[in-house]
Amino acid sequence: MKSTNYSEKTLDHFRNPRNVGTLEGLDVAVGKVGNPICGDLMYIYIRVSDDRIADIKFQTFGCGSAVATSSMTTELVKGMTLDEAMKVTRNDVADALEGLPPIKMHCSNLAADALHDAIKAWREGRRGETPESPKVGEVPSSCGLPVTKPPAIDGAEALLGKGVYRRVEDPKAFVEKRVLVVDRGKPSVDVALELTKHTGRVVFMSSTKEPSSKDDLRAPLKRSDVKVIYESEPIAVLGEGEVEKVRVHDLNENEEYELFVDAVVILEQAPVLP
Amino acid sequence: MPAQVYLDYQSSKPVDPRVVDAMRPWFTESFGNPSSLHLDGDEATDTLERSRERVAQFIGANKDEVIFTSGATESNNLAMIGYATRNRRRGDHIVVAESEHISIHNIAKALEKQGFKVSKVGVDQYGRVSVEKLRKKINDATILVSIGWASSEIGTVQPMPEIADALQGRGIALHTDAVAAEGLVPIDVRKVHVDLLTLSANDIYGPKGLGALYIRRNVNIAPVMPGGGQERGLRSGTENMPAIVGMAAAADIMTSEMPAEALRLMQYRDRLIAGVLGRIPKSHLNGHPRERLPNNAHFRFEAIEGESLLLSLKDKGVAASTGSACSSKTLEPSHTLISCGLLHEEAHGSLEFTFGRWSRPTDVDRVIEVLPGIVERLRSLSPLYAKETKA
Repeated sequence: MKSTNYSEKTLDHFRNPRNVGTLEGLDVAVGKVGNPICGDLMYIYIRVSDDRIADIKFQTFGCGSAVATSSMTTELVKGMTLDEAMKVTRNDVADALEGLPPIKMHCSNLAADALHDAIKAWREGRRGETPESPKVGEVPSSCGLPVTKPPAIDGAEALLGKGVYRRVEDPKAFVEKRVLVVDRGKPSVDVALELTKHTGRVVFMSSTKEPSSKDDLRAPLKRSDVKVIYESEPIAVLGEGEVEKVRVHDLNENEEYELFVDAVVILEQAPVLP
Repeated sequence: MPAQVYLDYQSSKPVDPRVVDAMRPWFTESFGNPSSLHLDGDEATDTLERSRERVAQFIGANKDEVIFTSGATESNNLAMIGYATRNRRRGDHIVVAESEHISIHNIAKALEKQGFKVSKVGVDQYGRVSVEKLRKKINDATILVSIGWASSEIGTVQPMPEIADALQGRGIALHTDAVAAEGLVPIDVRKVHVDLLTLSANDIYGPKGLGALYIRRNVNIAPVMPGGGQERGLRSGTENMPAIVGMAAAADIMTSEMPAEALRLMQYRDRLIAGVLGRIPKSHLNGHPRERLPNNAHFRFEAIEGESLLLSLKDKGVAASTGSACSSKTLEPSHTLISCGLLHEEAHGSLEFTFGRWSRPTDVDRVIEVLPGIVERLRSLSPLYAKETKA
């Protein structure tokens, strides 16, 4: 079956999704599932009153079935008790949509998981939070903790001067190049911003979670042309005689992927990050 | 021809009605097998050889340098596997471009299993191979380099003359899959010294199920499929005469109409690119800004996903294509986009429009009319975009 062979019901929920948006307040909890790298990311917000889902909203980045399953999930569980909602499965959502193409059952039918995550958050007392803020107790040990020296990146030493830079003395050397700047605190943020004057492609990679504070030293990157990736770290620089690509570990999904670049900037300084 | 706004010519093209007319007698009245020694057989042989000559002329080749196959995939297999196995004693190293279509990468993988070593030459952010980087990948054991003339996906045209010059006189054969480029940019094997060149009939508005392989004189390849010895023993199987006649007719039409057609499509392309980038915030052009196919406009939109874009366009009667993982059989995003340095999440938001013979100026108007609203609606659902605009 073709991956886009959707039922009319699925298409209806894609075209006219119900309950799109966000909720705020101390009686709200939020659940998250997926990752933009995989092509799907969902947030489900629940407002709980008397142990029932009084209101529910969602935001979804993804394909047709990702949007439709999010919409259908919110419709299915509105008004349910939390116990009832916990029992709603991915299959229930797919059935309510009159079926999904088999290939979509796993990759894009994640809304029930996001709902369960939201209920879990509520029961654990994580209420009134925005999805960006780090969840207590879930911060990986490498995230946000003081780093005393840069972790070793395989191949970086061997390709030093062949696309790997420990300092940036002549930004003109980066003209038209695809540059990866590894987070080494404020100086690396400054380097990334400077390089955007010389090339259209600067990626800034940080192992920390995305900071919620606007005062964060990385905040200026958001307003720039720099592409920022959080919760990822380079584990190897690869290339024959020159930098060709970087192997990246996505800490959130615990997956690896490749990023093709011409240059990698790993500053010597390793200041303590807040 | 296409009733809807069809902007996916790179995926499939209608057969030109003039081509269908040329093919029709070969299903019924003229049905001879070129191998037969009677009159019907002789008529088929004559037509086969005249068709071969016309397809050869289309790329500036001699008629004894072209053989017919079942399509581009077979031509690529025959070129790469046929050349590598035949020339193995001279070396065991092959170079392909990182940006190639998956079918080339899979052929390279098959050769690796046979003990060949494969290197991949990287491309720049626009998907272009640099001759300098290619030189670094070549060694004494290199016998074959395969680089597509242009990308059917992002439309980037490779510097083929420079690549061919760099390889000349080094005993390395150059293969190019030219299906994306044929009929859109001039291809002349007298001017560009490629050794093996893949063509498909449908890409010049001929029938599906037929391709051709150009094999330069004195370049030797082995067949990959044993059989009755047709096509100089390189491609066995009774010739698909209706399709061969169709490809020859399609090549003739293309030779006379391409210069004007390419200019016309380029105007649509440029108007679409300017319209989309001008109206839609956080949109980007993928592929090379200048060295690109005249019919190709390839975009990416931040914070949304390609399949959602296609479904929404379908509702508005517009057909397009995407490199998003969600639309692929493997659930992996397009490797061509990744090789240009894009992150997976960026590749997911890609959208490709390709114009062709029956495209009209109103097709451009329609896309520019509906696309901004579609992108805006999908972004209003997307948590990624909400975050970006908040910041």
